[in-house]
Amino acid sequence: MAEIEWPWQYSFPPFFTLQPHSDTRAKQLAAWKSLILEYYRVTKQAVVDIREVHSSPLFNNNAINRKLPSEAILLILEELAKSGNASPLDKTKQRWLIYWHTLEEWGEIIYNWAQDNGFIGSVCTLFELTQGEDTTDQEFYGLDTEVLIRALRTLEANKKAELILFDDNQGVKFF
Amino acid sequence: MGIFFSKKKPPSRVTEQDKAILQLKQTRDKIKQYQRRIEQNLGKERLLAKKLIQNKQKERALLLLRKKKFQEQILSKTDGQLENLERMVHDLEFAQVELKVVDGLKVGNVALKKLNDLLSIDEIEKVMDETREGIEKQREIDAILSGELTENDENEVEAELDALLAAEVEEKVPEVPEDVILPDVPEELPEKKKERTKENTREAIALEA
Repeated sequence: MAEIEWPWQYSFPPFFTLQPHSDTRAKQLAAWKSLILEYYRVTKQAVVDIREVHSSPLFNNNAINRKLPSEAILLILEELAKSGNASPLDKTKQRWLIYWHTLEEWGEIIYNWAQDNGFIGSVCTLFELTQGEDTTDQEFYGLDTEVLIRALRTLEANKKAELILFDDNQGVKFF
Repeated sequence: MGIFFSKKKPPSRVTEQDKAILQLKQTRDKIKQYQRRIEQNLGKERLLAKKLIQNKQKERALLLLRKKKFQEQILSKTDGQLENLERMVHDLEFAQVELKVVDGLKVGNVALKKLNDLLSIDEIEKVMDETREGIEKQREIDAILSGELTENDENEVEAELDALLAAEVEEKVPEVPEDVILPDVPEELPEKKKERTKENTREAIALEA
């Protein structure tokens, strides 16, 4: 797992407390948003579970003994959802998917790859896309399957691809 | 799963062959995963065997190496299977390409047939016959018309031609009338006249200056 370069705010204790002043708070939330996206991009993760979040170094800086409270995390995640960079996995909003590219962007990246490599009109397994030998240098290598499926759904809406899901088979055909 | 498929409004563009390819590829992926696992195992077991040898547990090391060998054999077998699968996938995909080629040819054939129907040979012959008839008719008309012209106007035309020819001859050789009186040759010498002209020119020059 690659190491993330923490921004200066990460070692700044007030960063872990929701700021009351609206301007400051907006700046704080923006910084958190980009930090979360960057962290998930570098570590290639996709799921935030608010119940388990304090085991992650992202929201828990042991060096300065600060944790970001769950309410603040929820607030930030909701902000991320507004820009299409996150979406809740369940109704209680405990588990979230993080998209460090929006789903549309992912769809486009994957479709461009398929176009460049002549996969238009042919079938690919999802495993092949995120774990295969052809995609090791691609940004979507190692991408969470759920995120991948959602990204492919955006392509499906544009008639650029069709997901094939039956039994335990997961694949996609590009058009 | 059923809900997912029934929800789709437009007819799926995924064919049965696509599903078959997907299943093959899925199997290939599984084999690859299996291979990855074995490879990792192999690495671990090699280290373990080394350790055992260092600890002088030769028997166990031997056993482990046998197991390793066995796994290596499995690995090469799966490689063969993998090749089979890949070949199958390629065959299927190629068959689909061929199908598309045939389809394309069919469409072209139908279009060509339609065009050929439009251009039936009988019709072409008819058109050609009609054209020929038309040309012949035209020729007849030409013949008739030109024939009439010679009968009626030939004489006039010839007369006009003669007149033109005669005029040209006259122009070339103008007739000299016989009763013209030519002037006599002057008796004086022409030198005096020359002097006079010289004086004239001198005056003109002086005036100009």
